[in-house]
Amino acid sequence: MTAAKSLLAADAHTRRRNAAEARFRAYGLAAVLVGIGALVLLLTTILGNGAGAFRQTYITIPVTLNADRLDPAGNRDPAEMAAVTTFGYAPMLAQALQQHLQVQGVAMDGIGPRDLMAIISQEAPAQTRAMVLANPDLLGQTLELEMLAGGRIDGYFKGRVTLETAERDANVSPAQLVLAQAMADAGMIETRFNWAFLTNPDASGQRPEAAGLGVAILGSLYMMLVVLVLALPIGVAAAIYLEEFAPKNRLTDVIEVNISNLAAVPSIVFGILGLAIFINFVGLPQSAPIVGGLVLTLMTLPTIIIATRAALGAVPPSIRSAALGLGASKMQSVFHHALPLAAPGILTGTIIGLAQALGETAPLLLIGMVAFVREFPAAPPEGLFDPTSALPVQVFNWTQRSDPAFVERAAGATIVLLVFLISMNLIAVLLRRRFERRW
Amino acid sequence: MNMMQDAKAAAMENALKISARGVDVFYGDTHAIKGVDVEIADKMVTAFIGPSGCGKSTFLRCLNRMNDTIDICRVTGQIQLDGEDIYEARVDPVQLRAKVGMVFQKPNPFPKSIYDNVAYGPRIHGLARDKAELDGIVEKSLRRAALWEEAKDRLNEPGTGLSGGQQQRLCIARAIATGPEVLLMDEPCSALDPIATAQVEQLIDELSSRFCVVIVTHSMAQASRVSQKTAFFHLGELVEFDDTDRIFTNPSDQRTESYITGRIG
Repeated sequence: MTAAKSLLAADAHTRRRNAAEARFRAYGLAAVLVGIGALVLLLTTILGNGAGAFRQTYITIPVTLNADRLDPAGNRDPAEMAAVTTFGYAPMLAQALQQHLQVQGVAMDGIGPRDLMAIISQEAPAQTRAMVLANPDLLGQTLELEMLAGGRIDGYFKGRVTLETAERDANVSPAQLVLAQAMADAGMIETRFNWAFLTNPDASGQRPEAAGLGVAILGSLYMMLVVLVLALPIGVAAAIYLEEFAPKNRLTDVIEVNISNLAAVPSIVFGILGLAIFINFVGLPQSAPIVGGLVLTLMTLPTIIIATRAALGAVPPSIRSAALGLGASKMQSVFHHALPLAAPGILTGTIIGLAQALGETAPLLLIGMVAFVREFPAAPPEGLFDPTSALPVQVFNWTQRSDPAFVERAAGATIVLLVFLISMNLIAVLLRRRFERRW
Repeated sequence: MNMMQDAKAAAMENALKISARGVDVFYGDTHAIKGVDVEIADKMVTAFIGPSGCGKSTFLRCLNRMNDTIDICRVTGQIQLDGEDIYEARVDPVQLRAKVGMVFQKPNPFPKSIYDNVAYGPRIHGLARDKAELDGIVEKSLRRAALWEEAKDRLNEPGTGLSGGQQQRLCIARAIATGPEVLLMDEPCSALDPIATAQVEQLIDELSSRFCVVIVTHSMAQASRVSQKTAFFHLGELVEFDDTDRIFTNPSDQRTESYITGRIG
């Protein structure tokens, strides 16, 4: 006989058990904390690097649009005026800047004409030229022109470039920075929110200050449109058939296993497939959102099918029996009862699939969406066949360029991508809430 | 109660509604129902009793072909409703089920409003020409299911918000809204408390004046309370089928007596 045990003192076995439980909780908490820490680190890094992309430095000075120089023929015909390239505009802007600085009495110690030019972005003459060609009547007038500052000057006002780094930088001298500071003090330079980052097309490697996401956002949007229009109906129809109507035999088993396998196929394989079939065999154009959308549809289908089947499978069988018992046909019981109850799950699956597709890069590289595209695509449906870029590919593209200003742009593009993803998930949650309240 | 049963027993020359001949049911290789013959009369309650797994629910589900929804289930033999073979190739089970309504073990209202629950059957079968007619059907069905007084002010509230007993009466209202001739009930009170059970039993008694009611029950007391005829199933066979009074007082088969007195099952 063992002595009677007191309930007030835990025995050795209980103590061991409690200790194991406490340890397990500690592991779990630690895992969660590590995860949150990694997320915070990631977000602060991206925000720290990318926030600058949403602010841009502009120089505003009065410029006289010299008619003799910009329209040598004097007939205001844009076709003939186009003969004057940006090289005709650049000296004019530099002169205007020099004159304005002299009038304002800003000291220009150690600044040559070439240094002065470099303060203004190379994009500025191009933008001025486009403005003049669009409206030849501006010639001869003196306008307050707002021009992009050069990439290094922009970096100086965002703290990326300092007088110390300028010493070691072949592209900018400390004297230029001192001048830029003097111009800012005189009210000629200001830094403000950069809408152009969201609306401009990409720009060349020498003009990071002009590069924007406009074409990439449109391209991604077009692709998501294609994916939604194709993957949702096909995926949901396939899932309903497989889950509700298909006989359970060896063939459907094989199909089922292969759908699960497809979900795990590396995305670049889908890119090769797209290249081989949609471009080489069908002959669709390269770099086009229609091809990207088709490839991403193939990738998204398994996700949607699996999510829809899981959602349908979770509808209680008693609801189906009730409908069948009332004399509803199989299709009525599915469409009147099972599908509405499964809708929140289908919706979540679809949006998760879309979000995956939105962030996918590898297959797009293979179908030529990595190209440098400055032309905006037309409106759909024709626009689906025009070359575009895509958000994740734009990030990939910019991280490969040498100018450090592109690091900032790439991080900014990542922020835009994240904002899109978060809002998609938010929409999923909101829609799901609404559906669940109604049912 | 006994008086009432006697009165009904006297009217036992009710028309024959359902007649089954040599019905066998197989689940894959399992022989679930073995050669069952039974004749079910109209306008009265017939109870199927027997231990778990004896096949009474399976046989009930043959009567409206709900077993069709199970892939591996195979039914042979003949079941006639008003003299027509319901397993004939020309019969559409969808039409059959509008005629033979079913109430399930667990209350299973649709996650919709009370009104939409009852109106669903008439809608899919096109029984109402307009809203007013549909309103009438819904009210009549809820009244017959003894739920109108409790539900009339909350027709737009979800049916799932009712209590268990109310939900089961809602399911009965839903089943009778399609205007069936036969009502199959698969242990309709097994998920209900005693008070709700009493209400549903009283309702069944009232319904038997209009419908042919077939009820599967685990409770022998319930069978003796609500039914006029009782069939005892054991191991897939129909052991005995007779007037309820007789089954519970003077069974002719040894197995029936053993079950009723609690020795098997």
